Amino acid sequence: MANVTLPSVAARPGLGEFVLEKLLSGRGIWPAMPAILVLMVVAIIPFVILLSLGFSDIEVSRGAIVSRTFSLEYLTTALSDRLYWITFQRSLSLALSTTALCFLFGYPVAYLFLVGGRWTKRLILVLTIAPLLTSGIVRTYAWLVILGGRGVVNTTLINIGLIDQPLRIMNTQWAVLIGMVQIHLPVMILPLIAVMSRHDGNLIEVSQNLGASRLGTLRTVILPLSVPGIGTGSALVFTLSYTTFVVPQLLGGGNYLNAATMIYEQVVFSLEWSKGSVTSLILMVTCLVVLVSIALVSNHFTRWTRERDS
Amino acid sequence: MRSFRHTSFTDLLGIGLILAVAVFSLVLLVAPSIIVVIISFDTRAYVSFPPEGFTLRWYAAVFEKRELVEAMWTSLKVGLTVTVLCIVLGVPTALACVRGRFRGTTALSVFVLVPHMVPGIVLGVAVLFAGALVGVSPSIWLQSIAITVFVLAVMVRTVQSRLQRLDPALEEAAANLRATSFQSLRTVTFPLLLPAILAGAIFTFVEGFDNLSVAIFTHSFRDRPLPVELLALVQYTSTPLIAAVSGIQIVLAIAALVAVSMSIGLDTANE
Repeated sequence: MANVTLPSVAARPGLGEFVLEKLLSGRGIWPAMPAILVLMVVAIIPFVILLSLGFSDIEVSRGAIVSRTFSLEYLTTALSDRLYWITFQRSLSLALSTTALCFLFGYPVAYLFLVGGRWTKRLILVLTIAPLLTSGIVRTYAWLVILGGRGVVNTTLINIGLIDQPLRIMNTQWAVLIGMVQIHLPVMILPLIAVMSRHDGNLIEVSQNLGASRLGTLRTVILPLSVPGIGTGSALVFTLSYTTFVVPQLLGGGNYLNAATMIYEQVVFSLEWSKGSVTSLILMVTCLVVLVSIALVSNHFTRWTRERDS
Repeated sequence: MRSFRHTSFTDLLGIGLILAVAVFSLVLLVAPSIIVVIISFDTRAYVSFPPEGFTLRWYAAVFEKRELVEAMWTSLKVGLTVTVLCIVLGVPTALACVRGRFRGTTALSVFVLVPHMVPGIVLGVAVLFAGALVGVSPSIWLQSIAITVFVLAVMVRTVQSRLQRLDPALEEAAANLRATSFQSLRTVTFPLLLPAILAGAIFTFVEGFDNLSVAIFTHSFRDRPLPVELLALVQYTSTPLIAAVSGIQIVLAIAALVAVSMSIGLDTANE
């Protein structure tokens, strides 16, 4: 680049500018250095410490670790504990069904975005982004109001005479599932929309002009092209619903234990930090396994559609 | 060309079904918020539907509840700290990712994403434990820095995608006019990046303000942030007080949405 060698005549830089100039003109890694340092200290090193704590016996006093010794005990007890298996199985099936349902309810919205006019598109964007700007607790609270004993669903059903006694929906796994799906729906829709709006709208027109029905176009053109979006959306929804404790805590009424609520109780209430580390590690590893599977499946189908096209 | 189009009954039925589900989903997205806003004006001291009467007393009650107001201040401080840190750390990182001429620019982009891909709850536990090991106890600062690490990727990605679409000719022109790198950055690149930085700032602020998964493990026990306070309140409050808090949040969300769409447009924000 010529500008580096030319003397600056426009202005004489001060010392601060001189340093900045050196840092920014090098096209090197320097501008990213502060971020790398912070990420190392606040994320990478803590992960390593978490890993090491999962393999040790820790004594905690007043929020500080006073002693620790190497031990495989916590890992082996956790892996042979039935409660762990049940809890993780429940979290996994809850997260997977949430992901599947979010796809079933979210994909049609993305399709409507694709075929809709300008105002439909705007409305969809507003309705999906706005919830993400309010807190998950507030959105979960809405379901307490709707599904509760004196909530919207029960009063309506009683008023039209379908039932005499309020249904017990709250504090069941159904309440948790309904809340999970509604709260994570925007996270599925947004990546789908992003992928769909990137493709040429003419493709759909061409397909239909060639005689394909609208359903046929959806199946053979739109769906294959949106595979990357489905992958991203599923990965995000899965991670969030697998690791949330707000929804199970509030809608499950405390007796619904999932992996995240388990970690919360071990770390914050019973101060069993070794157990907490082990549970966190299992959560992270199982989450990673599912994410990698989603990525592999999504890559497989993306490649498959490309090869078939050529 | 419409004459070629083949419309059968099953086709219409299938598409009709899909569009019906789409409309249902959109209603599902917005209905709970509307119900909560309606509830927040109820005169009765318990939550029930349909509401009776109209009052603003729950909104007044939010601001009279000391814990809530203090929690809001705490979250506001955390949100602002997170935003400032994300701008200071994230914008230069995005520059290095896109403009860098060193090996490993891709590795750098992936590295920044790592903490964002890890479940927030695991990051929170890890930071709490690491802090305990070196004697740093939970505080508003620990919470801010932990959330910063968690959401930094959002800022980097937003600025990065904007940078990649910038016309390089603009900076070359600045260089031809003998501007230093710093001058061209300040007078050409930075103003062009401003909308992306603003959008990133709004999203990182919201995360700093609202984050629970990281905050619940790293917050100071003296200054509880809003989400932690709310989680406790929701479980032990039966009045429409929480509905009023929701109402306030919804108004703020709409304001943020308007700000984003005015700065870069919603379509760009989504990418």
